[in-house]
Amino acid sequence: MNKKTKNLDKLKNIKTPAPSKARRAASIEAAMLAFDIEQQKSQNKNNSRDHLKNFQGNTITRRLMSIFNNPKRTWIMDMRIPVGAVMVGMVILPAAWYLNNNYSEQKIQDSPAQEYSSGGSPNAKKNEHTRIENDSINSGQTDINASSKTIIGEVTSEQYSAPAPNVVVKKMPSTSPRMAQESVAVQGFAEDSTYLVDERHFPQPIPSTQDGDRFSDFENSPLFTTAQNPVSTFSIDVDTASYSYVRRQLEDGFLPNENSVRIEEMINYFSYDYKAPSDESAPFSQSVAVYPTPWNEATKLLHIGIKGFTPEAAEIKPSNLVLLIDTSGSMSAADKLPLLKRSFALLLNQLNENDTISIVAYAGSAGVVLKPTAANKKTTILGALDRLQAGGSTAGGEGIELAYQLAKENASNDVNSRVILATDGDFNVGISTDAELKKFIEKKRNDNIFLSVLGFGTGNYNDALMQSLAQNGNGNAYYIDNFLEAQKVLGQEVQGTLTTIAKDVKIQVEFNPATVAEYRLVGYETRALKREDFNNDKVDAGDIGAGHTVTAIYEITPVGSSAVMTNPLRYESETKVEFSGNDDEYAFLKLRYKLPNEDKSKLIEQPVPVSLAVDDIAKVDAEFRFGAAVAAFAQKLRYGSNTNAMTYAEVKQLGEGARGADKFGYRAEFISLVDLARSLSDE
Amino acid sequence: MVKTAPLEAKDETLVAHAVAGDRHAFATLLDRHYMLIYKIAYQWCGNQNDAEDITQDVCLKLSKAINSFDNRAKFTSWLYRIVLNMVRDMQRASARRNKRHADLMQISEGNSPASQEDAIATKELWAMVKTLPEKQCDAVLLVYASELNHAEAAKIMQVKESTVSWYIMEAKKSLKGLLKNE
Repeated sequence: MNKKTKNLDKLKNIKTPAPSKARRAASIEAAMLAFDIEQQKSQNKNNSRDHLKNFQGNTITRRLMSIFNNPKRTWIMDMRIPVGAVMVGMVILPAAWYLNNNYSEQKIQDSPAQEYSSGGSPNAKKNEHTRIENDSINSGQTDINASSKTIIGEVTSEQYSAPAPNVVVKKMPSTSPRMAQESVAVQGFAEDSTYLVDERHFPQPIPSTQDGDRFSDFENSPLFTTAQNPVSTFSIDVDTASYSYVRRQLEDGFLPNENSVRIEEMINYFSYDYKAPSDESAPFSQSVAVYPTPWNEATKLLHIGIKGFTPEAAEIKPSNLVLLIDTSGSMSAADKLPLLKRSFALLLNQLNENDTISIVAYAGSAGVVLKPTAANKKTTILGALDRLQAGGSTAGGEGIELAYQLAKENASNDVNSRVILATDGDFNVGISTDAELKKFIEKKRNDNIFLSVLGFGTGNYNDALMQSLAQNGNGNAYYIDNFLEAQKVLGQEVQGTLTTIAKDVKIQVEFNPATVAEYRLVGYETRALKREDFNNDKVDAGDIGAGHTVTAIYEITPVGSSAVMTNPLRYESETKVEFSGNDDEYAFLKLRYKLPNEDKSKLIEQPVPVSLAVDDIAKVDAEFRFGAAVAAFAQKLRYGSNTNAMTYAEVKQLGEGARGADKFGYRAEFISLVDLARSLSDE
Repeated sequence: MVKTAPLEAKDETLVAHAVAGDRHAFATLLDRHYMLIYKIAYQWCGNQNDAEDITQDVCLKLSKAINSFDNRAKFTSWLYRIVLNMVRDMQRASARRNKRHADLMQISEGNSPASQEDAIATKELWAMVKTLPEKQCDAVLLVYASELNHAEAAKIMQVKESTVSWYIMEAKKSLKGLLKNE
């Protein structure tokens, strides 16, 4: 007997009898039906989000009445959509059921051997599965489903109570009567797996893409001929919003909208272990590498890595934070206000009694939810956060004014003052035009109040506005797609997020026409500056936070390379200016920055010698190689798979070979994103 | 902007598309995994009828549950968990009517052909495994019937790998005891 127990391996010999084909078809059919209903439900939810939820009541009529009676709501806002969606929902759902049931009734008549049980109420189970197990009773769907359910009930019971004469009633063998009841509901559709691809009988749900998200259109960075345009100037950018948005899109199974891909933000999402500043004379240090381009043999990458220093904890000034929280109706989704609350709880853990927090909410009317409170009074702050509820329209402008006012009251040279705006991106009351908002934020910049913009959610996400706010308000922008991202921005990298160590950081690179024929800046399209702006301290630029790394990559075509795109000019020789003749440098790098409380910029200069170039990418540090892999990936997503000579597999290989310590697993995640993108693309 | 996921796409991709409303993706998923769901159900409940009922319930449940798939585990691991939960639900419901042991005894008579001695031995063993405490039973079936490794089983059971090994050791001990009593 003991032999048996030792040999548990025998269990693998359990023979599974073949499942019944009819049951299989029926089950799949039923599941598809449930899927369609589920989709219809979520679609209705999407359409009516933000609006119907704001109105309480038991019936659709009352709810519609309350919309019509509200004098503040104007037809300019899209109130017609939810009403329309409700109507469509009311008509389509029952209609689909009716069609479907009629069709199945026909099938029963057509196939005489059709089995079906007489036990129990036939439509009971079907209704059970269409039942809304949903938590949101406050939206219009409940009624939609309720009304369609009634009609379903009528149709099916009619169908089953008057069976066609040629139907053979046969009880299915089953050990459990409950199960017998369940299976009957779908018998009508059995034995025809072609339903799987036959869509005539279903309302085709419109896939819920994130089409409502807004991005500004921008041109790809152009190729410059060094002889004509030797100088390239741009502002650094530490935002990471684009990467987390793209990640979310890919994880949801979509290739991202090309305008949502900002290459520099993808690259700068990662923290690179560049050489840290050796002394405190400058707030950051720069590392430069020149190596062959992984996607083009005939060009090289000039890779500039900047690493900000991390001040000792004791040296960090206390923070004066004003959380400006969007509590409009659209924020009620689980990945918006609830995620936001948990995110700020994380932030709280990073602060102490010297820091102050105030909370301003905006929606309908802006208001101070929490007066400036020491950050160690966690219960008070968490309580205030917890009481926030989504509802009402979005008076973002007013909210911003109030938040800045509050920040200014507590501002001094001894604290870091910062407004943290958390929203899905809608401002439609108060200072409502983007231009006005921008002007307002620009003005506030001079009070040394910084701004962080945290974006949440999809479907309504206004990336364009977020970017413009952050860029004009001495700020940074993040996109919080999940709790892990909140942990990165407000936990691990909180010092970078909250403590600015250098502001208005600009980079200017002068290329040497004797060695570089052409160059192209990878990304930073939205950050280009005019050549003369570099020395103009009035021109705003990006800020670097404590410990932040910033990467800029140029693709350069050396003189004489087969990759040179432009032909020499016919008349050039006549007008040609004599170059210095120095051919042992590729370029001259200049950086300008201001210390957080200063208005005068400082300059750092450094030549990029030709001798720096290596002939094999494997010879440069992994930190640089990983940056190149992200750049390649981002370019593939932005420019389309085919314009980049690297395949996703090659990008993955390059990234995998450069993972380094990867303490928090971000690089591993990047590699899985490359895989996802490959499976979604044609490659 | 929405691309229909190709038929050969990975499970996780299909899920993403299904969540976005692509019914072909959902149909492909069901089609691809119907047999797996059924097989798990059969291994756990030991009779075809219940297995098919459970499979149907799982298919229906997926139409909604798919939205909560979060990519933290492999899709199949996630699916295992859903099926096992469904099995437990059903067993709890039927336990109210008849005691579990009696229910399980049905396995030994019945469904699959019992021609060879070996098959009978397998069945006996199988029936005994089912009398084990739930967790031990799960661990044994996952590792020996479904032939997963301890790490995969641990993911499905949402416990540590060492805990799975411990369950199996315990199971072996109690099986020895059971057989001696016979």
